[in-house]
Amino acid sequence: MLHSLDAFLGPAYFYLFALAALLCGGGLFISRHPINAAVNLIGVMLALAGIYVLMGSPFLGVLQVLVYAGAIMMLVVFVIMVLNQATDHQVPRFDGYSAIGALIPVVLGLSLLRTLQHSPHTQDAGAVRGEVKPMAAQLFDLSANGPGYYLLFELIGVLLLVAVVAAVLLAKRSLDTETPENSDVAHKEDHHG
Amino acid sequence: MGNVDLLQVQGLAAVLFCLGFAVVLARRNIFLVLMGVELMLNAVNLSFVSFSRQLVGNASLTGHLVPLFTIAIAAAEACVGLAMVICITRGKDSVDSDAFSEMKE
Repeated sequence: MLHSLDAFLGPAYFYLFALAALLCGGGLFISRHPINAAVNLIGVMLALAGIYVLMGSPFLGVLQVLVYAGAIMMLVVFVIMVLNQATDHQVPRFDGYSAIGALIPVVLGLSLLRTLQHSPHTQDAGAVRGEVKPMAAQLFDLSANGPGYYLLFELIGVLLLVAVVAAVLLAKRSLDTETPENSDVAHKEDHHG
Repeated sequence: MGNVDLLQVQGLAAVLFCLGFAVVLARRNIFLVLMGVELMLNAVNLSFVSFSRQLVGNASLTGHLVPLFTIAIAAAEACVGLAMVICITRGKDSVDSDAFSEMKE
């Protein structure tokens, strides 16, 4: 009943999302201020989340919106605003090396597309398994001869903890504990800037 | 939804990857370089999801699980990368990547 509509709307939605992703990607390349670039990147991520849902993986789509477009880009925008000197948009966008730099991805992209044209791309109709339940069953399969993804999952937790500690240590003004004169100096500097 | 052409999805992933690569190589603002890396990671995730459609049975779940870990790694990378940017920008007062070249002297 709805299959013919689905068959028509599936590719149409895909082209819509693909066009949005490509336009926002181009906008990222030419945008002048980092905030504009961040908004363009969020557009790419939302479009890709739509494509994930179309490809039968709603879990990844939700994760993409939550973690990528939400958390990571919020952090990026926050840091851009913290460091926003008036000089931000005075950094020239490109320089003489940019032409050479942009040539390498063009060559790489053409060779990639050429390789893709000659690769098999038959899809298995039964392979739409991106829902939460089978993914969770596979991820937390604790049997001895299972894939062992749960170990990776635990390691990710440790890695994120290490990253948080490293970020706090790196972004701190000094490694000393906060003494009154230290915080005074910091306060004055903040006042100046 | 079943008949999105996988070749087109892979092509989109390839183009987005090269776009991110071009941003990393060509742009001078350090934030744009970081965002180009994020775009490349996103394109690879899309490629994983697309390839998973070609596999049979439980093997196809791998293509949905690896992006899960990639997203977590990207979160850690953005966290540490932005902290480093804050750290080195504080002394330089500039976000031009050419300002951070004193290691070669």
